[in-house]
Amino acid sequence: MAYAFYPGCVSKGGCPELYPAAVKVCAKLNIELAELTDVGCSGAGCLPQEVSDPINARTLAKVEQMGMTMMTICSTCQGVFTQANHRLKTNPEYLEQINRDHLAAEGLQYNGTVDVKHFVWVLDEEYGLDNLKELIVQPLTGLQIAPFYGCYLRRPPELMVPKGWERRKTVLETTIETLGGEVTKISGKGKCCGFPIFSANEENALEMCGTHTLEAREKGADCMVTPCPLCHLELDGKQSDAARHKQAKIDMPVLHLPQLVGLALGFSPKEMNLHRHIVSTDDVVKKLESVRT
Amino acid sequence: MEFNVKVRRHDPSANGKSPTQTYTIDIEEDATVLDALMRIREEQDGTLAFRGSCRSGFCGDCSMRLGGKNKIACRTTMAQVVKGDEVTVDPIRMIKVAKDMMFDVEDMVYAKYEAVEPWVEPAQPLPEREHKVSNEVVKDLRKVMSCTMCWLCDEGCTTMLVDRKFLGPAALTKAYRVVADPRDSRTNERLHNLSDAKGVWDCCHCFEATEHCPKGIDPTERIFAIRDKAMKIGAGNYRVKGHYKSFMASVKKAGWVDETRLAIDTEGGFTHFLAQIKQIPLGLKALKRGKMPRPYFLHPKRPGADKIRNIFRKVEAQK
Repeated sequence: MAYAFYPGCVSKGGCPELYPAAVKVCAKLNIELAELTDVGCSGAGCLPQEVSDPINARTLAKVEQMGMTMMTICSTCQGVFTQANHRLKTNPEYLEQINRDHLAAEGLQYNGTVDVKHFVWVLDEEYGLDNLKELIVQPLTGLQIAPFYGCYLRRPPELMVPKGWERRKTVLETTIETLGGEVTKISGKGKCCGFPIFSANEENALEMCGTHTLEAREKGADCMVTPCPLCHLELDGKQSDAARHKQAKIDMPVLHLPQLVGLALGFSPKEMNLHRHIVSTDDVVKKLESVRT
Repeated sequence: MEFNVKVRRHDPSANGKSPTQTYTIDIEEDATVLDALMRIREEQDGTLAFRGSCRSGFCGDCSMRLGGKNKIACRTTMAQVVKGDEVTVDPIRMIKVAKDMMFDVEDMVYAKYEAVEPWVEPAQPLPEREHKVSNEVVKDLRKVMSCTMCWLCDEGCTTMLVDRKFLGPAALTKAYRVVADPRDSRTNERLHNLSDAKGVWDCCHCFEATEHCPKGIDPTERIFAIRDKAMKIGAGNYRVKGHYKSFMASVKKAGWVDETRLAIDTEGGFTHFLAQIKQIPLGLKALKRGKMPRPYFLHPKRPGADKIRNIFRKVEAQK
């Protein structure tokens, strides 16, 4: 299995623990990654479409030449690419205009044939959770994990969870169970983490972050897991501010999905960079060790 | 089929208590929930209060939570929301309830509508003949005009869950209706007003509004469209402007986002000295954990950054 790999900015910037964890996990699973380097930022909803659509069409044109599916490890990148790809695939005139105005000068052309999939979809829909299960050497037995989807892996639903793909609505839960962990349900799992509005309204952003992490704490989770590094920046990075805002003690470790998969595949917490989080992951590590011994 | 319809009864005189009451009713599975509620009101309990006028999804009156989901009762069948033999019926949450499923639109919603002044004000003097508006614009506006004011977008809104004062997708979509109308003469003033606190920039673009809209109007994209227009005229508070400008500048320069610079610019740049000091504790924690993104003056260019820059330049030149 080989994928054109789009790591996104944050997995190498604000969440530098994510990129190496994802690369190690994919290598262990024999998922070959052809990393895209000569491509731009997806825009993450912060660039106007008139700029981000051509930048993303350029990326997709390069992937098309490679003849591969593109894999992301960030829900925000995934959401932006799925939406841009949909516009390009369903509006031939628009695609032609972008090809003519922006890609032709570089000798590129996008024909609208590329699929873009998040790592967790690749695992479930192409690699197969049954195949993953066979490789698990350190099941996450007894670990209570609260899945946090955030927004862009699920909405808008007609694009992210189209008819026939309903399994995507619970893909984090099924993955956690495959890894041997236990799912802690939280009502805010599909809500906004707060990150997108931290510049406009910090108080609301902290209220969102505090609500979700506190709910996970109150429901007895040992940690949360997210497929989105931007959610991670908020839920992990801003958690102490959110705790002050909520006047509560939270201390809820938040793991990236590839880290969780890696732990079950036998990587050490250090190899999965669990020491590089703002909220300490020590209790998660202790719990895993106590089960193993 | 026999259903147990479990209805939340809210009585304003009952000191905030709203118990549930269960009615047993024999009705076809493909009957709408509104049909069932009307039968209950006629045959079992005349005090049950709810609205419902057109019975065909045009008036937006019968919004409620059915089986825990935000729905229009006249477009939802019993079979779609039944669990076992039970159908739960609750009022929507984002608007004050007057009685049972009837909400008090005066309470908040109309005030928000009024705040966005949803009427077109053309420049004076008016042209001698009609205004000419392109087909493309009319098609777009017609979609927005199909809003039935059912408030389900507000009901799904993630920001309103934490801040009831947020203008919300319903009012902001109505604002788009006027902002995108080429006949209006107050567009820039409106964009500045909509960029104030509780306006478009407080939207966390979670796409819940789009998911909940029964008319496919896509309120989230309308809010994005207002933001794009607002950004072009420099509306928004200094943090929002700093954030978006910085994001754009670093992608234009290096092909990808410079997160250190973004954090500094979002707080207003180095001239906002005190705001930068506030960031130091998190910065130190990140440094300690080996999480600090590279300082911006070391932010390397991506290969092909010049090609990305060409895209920016071309878009700028086309304007």
